Amino acid sequence: MHLTVNGTPHEFEVAGHETLLSVLRERLSLTGTKLSCGRGECGACTVLLASPGSARRTVYSCLTLAAACESASVTTIEGLGQDGPGGHHPLQDAFIAHDAVQCGFCTPGQLLAAAALLEETPSPSASDIRVAMSGNLCRCGTYPKIVLAIQEAARRMAHGA
Amino acid sequence: MARKRFVSTKVEVEGREETRIVEVPEFEPAPWTADTPMDVVGQCVPRMDALEKVTGQAIFTADVRRTGMLHAHIVRAPIAHGTVTNIDFGGALEVPGVRAVLAREDVEGIRYDSGQLFDQTIRFAGQPLAAVCAETPEAAARAANAVIVRVESKTHAVSIEAALAPGAPLVRAKGNTSKHSPRVMERGDADAAMRTADVIVRREYRTPTALHTAMEPHGAVAEWSGGQLTVWESTQGIFNTRSDLATAFGLKLTQVRVIKDHMGGGFGAKNGAHASTYIAVALAHKTGAPVRCVLDREGEQVDSGNRSATIQRVTIGATREGTLSAIVADAEIAMGVGGWFASPAKIYHEMYACPNVRTTETFVYTHTGAMASFRAPGHVEGAFGLECTMDALARELAIDPLELRRRNYADHDQEKSRPYSEKRLDECYRLGAERFGWKSLSALGSWPSAAESRGPRAEGRFKRGRGMSSICWGAGGGPPAYATVRMNPDGTIDVLTGSQDLGTGARTVLAQIAAEAIGANIQDVRTVLGDTERLPYTSNSWGSQTTASVGPAVRMAAEDAKAKLFEAASQMLDASTEVLEARSSVVRIAESREPRAESRELSFAEIGERLGDIMILGHGSRGPNPDKTAMCAFGAQFAEVEVDVETGRVRVVRFVAAHDSGRIINPRLAESQLEGGILQGIGFALFEERVLDAALGLPLNPTMHDYKIPTLADLPEIEAFFVTGADTVANHIGAKGLAEPPIIGAAPAIANAVADAIGVEITELPLTPWRVLAAIAVLGRPSGPV
Repeated sequence: MHLTVNGTPHEFEVAGHETLLSVLRERLSLTGTKLSCGRGECGACTVLLASPGSARRTVYSCLTLAAACESASVTTIEGLGQDGPGGHHPLQDAFIAHDAVQCGFCTPGQLLAAAALLEETPSPSASDIRVAMSGNLCRCGTYPKIVLAIQEAARRMAHGA
Repeated sequence: MARKRFVSTKVEVEGREETRIVEVPEFEPAPWTADTPMDVVGQCVPRMDALEKVTGQAIFTADVRRTGMLHAHIVRAPIAHGTVTNIDFGGALEVPGVRAVLAREDVEGIRYDSGQLFDQTIRFAGQPLAAVCAETPEAAARAANAVIVRVESKTHAVSIEAALAPGAPLVRAKGNTSKHSPRVMERGDADAAMRTADVIVRREYRTPTALHTAMEPHGAVAEWSGGQLTVWESTQGIFNTRSDLATAFGLKLTQVRVIKDHMGGGFGAKNGAHASTYIAVALAHKTGAPVRCVLDREGEQVDSGNRSATIQRVTIGATREGTLSAIVADAEIAMGVGGWFASPAKIYHEMYACPNVRTTETFVYTHTGAMASFRAPGHVEGAFGLECTMDALARELAIDPLELRRRNYADHDQEKSRPYSEKRLDECYRLGAERFGWKSLSALGSWPSAAESRGPRAEGRFKRGRGMSSICWGAGGGPPAYATVRMNPDGTIDVLTGSQDLGTGARTVLAQIAAEAIGANIQDVRTVLGDTERLPYTSNSWGSQTTASVGPAVRMAAEDAKAKLFEAASQMLDASTEVLEARSSVVRIAESREPRAESRELSFAEIGERLGDIMILGHGSRGPNPDKTAMCAFGAQFAEVEVDVETGRVRVVRFVAAHDSGRIINPRLAESQLEGGILQGIGFALFEERVLDAALGLPLNPTMHDYKIPTLADLPEIEAFFVTGADTVANHIGAKGLAEPPIIGAAPAIANAVADAIGVEITELPLTPWRVLAAIAVLGRPSGPV
């Protein structure tokens, strides 16, 4: 199969049961994408997936079969903001500035979910943020800071900063 | 060389006070007082490992890759109680990629939760019975599923009631209660005082078994090389894990190296070697290859510790004016198959001034996974009973709940009759109430009496209510803890200490302390943690201890390094060390000492360059705690809830938390800890409960879908802050612990707010919709809790 990951094309032979998460972590050593529940309940494995001809969206990579991603393009945390200033997405800077990171295990998934939100809704309301982010669990309780960070990143992106 | 002095000191860990023999440091710096000018301590320095974490570069245990690494999977017991009659590995060995199995005979003598690893007597559903390892995680999982376990099942006892019933099946050979149960603690004469009390309230409470549910499950990667064992482990205690492994495998401590870089949360469940650690090590030994063993989510939820469920019967007697006469509490505590004795009783003895207190605790073994410390173990459970009964008393007496608590303010440690190093709970009450607008409650009139308060306070579907709670927690930390501070030739500084950052911010906070003490820019300082082979000892990161235990050792090491730096600089600047000062990584002659002198200064880098390979190295250790002094963190929390009386759903609308933890090293990171504790407390109050099938003894919700933790959609408006200051008696950096206190008050504050909203008390957590609806359904009945 063909899969583009963070802009780099790859070709693999995948078994039918292999998940996108497993391909990213075990074959490509992109370990920023985390396994926590393995059944689409926690969001730690969230990545952005663009199938040919459609806009990119969040998927739980633990529930996504690799074979179903033929010719798709995947963005993982390692590729988020790689074309941006300093190689960072404004969300990454805002997450640091607002301390929206404690243990950091859910953080990659949170950032990709937030990036997808801002692509679709550049100025999200508090309610938009609640809906878009409630599929990504954080046990440390960074939620208040995540809200602040997303709001700030949205402002900065709106002003082209 | 100066001789070391050793003394005995008391250290409180997770509600347990221990006496330790510790060495007295050669010098201890004068305390940083509330007025000491500070450049780096007290600043919102961004979390130092945040960049690694937001870019996905932070390496967690499951991310460790070793050449030829194999993957392990655990075979678990399918029943709650019984015996293994046969394990057939035939099918597993046929799975392509399988390399080895690990059975009972391979792990003789390895103890786990006070029992033998892979014990063929099954004492809880999910107990590890065997393991397999394979070239991929998928093959390992398939092979584990192909292992056929034949069992003979027996009647089980998974609840407190079942385990205490006459003729109950035995969890342990010696009986279903711990050997020192019932544990009675009494001061004064509670029965006599109760007889003369003007008012008595009685309640019975239940708190659930709660699961830590860290995002990163337990896990280890083990590798043997020439008789040396290296283990990467997601742990709160690298040195504990090292000694566990040395004991289990008959190794010298020099043969075991435990490394912990980043970890995805612990919350008390990761305090030493776990079954997964032993399995990884044993399989690595058997196969000669590195082995990774990371729990899957179900394994994590059933076999990695939990908060003990409790039943608490509470009686409080008081005068008409609201002065407490006596507190009596009896509790049963569900341990599971093992663990330690986290005491819900302790807070009944500590929180309020009351001369007569008696608690009786019965620790009960059940056929479920062993308990483990979980953020403020004991106090979270006890605070629910105590603080809800205080509100019941307030209603009975028609006294404002905050006023009732103030009238019973403990100005010294009631349990041990000793002073507090510092206590500013009164400021927490005042500022918390102010920010919350608690006064507007009494503006509605006096606190409604018990009779008046029955029934909804307002018409309509959504009822609002307010409640509050008090918090205390022993958080003074203590020795032993060691640190080394070294200055590199370019003037940068390494802080070396064998502590752990669980996501708490320890790396950042310890670097700030070192930077402040030595006078460096924070950008020039980094903290190196989490390696038993290369770093000096500190204890586990538990009991809200790290800052108060390790912080003073780091400060002392930095002061020691500074003294040496000044010796070197005094030669270079031709000035005595007494006139030197260091700020922003520059040593200069203090202006006050040599006014209008031409600027003579040298940066750390310039000094380092001139010194070349001569290293500035400072050592520090944590000194003893002050004698006969209680060191506690305090807090007051205020919740506003909205209850949907049609669906029974409770929503926390607003939460204000005022905390006293002495000096705050980094206000933003500290605020994150408070918010995190409050959110976990909201989960404990509203959603979290391990559910077992009573008939089968099997866990019904070992997933993150069915075991509900708060999501962002559950987030209330939170205002969490500290009263500012420094506890100069507790230790010379003035800081006490702060991570555990915020979870303690959340559930009672929320439950009290719900009672205020719907006019009826709910005495069992979590406050699920059906419990709320059941409570509302009995509204028409005569008074009394449900």
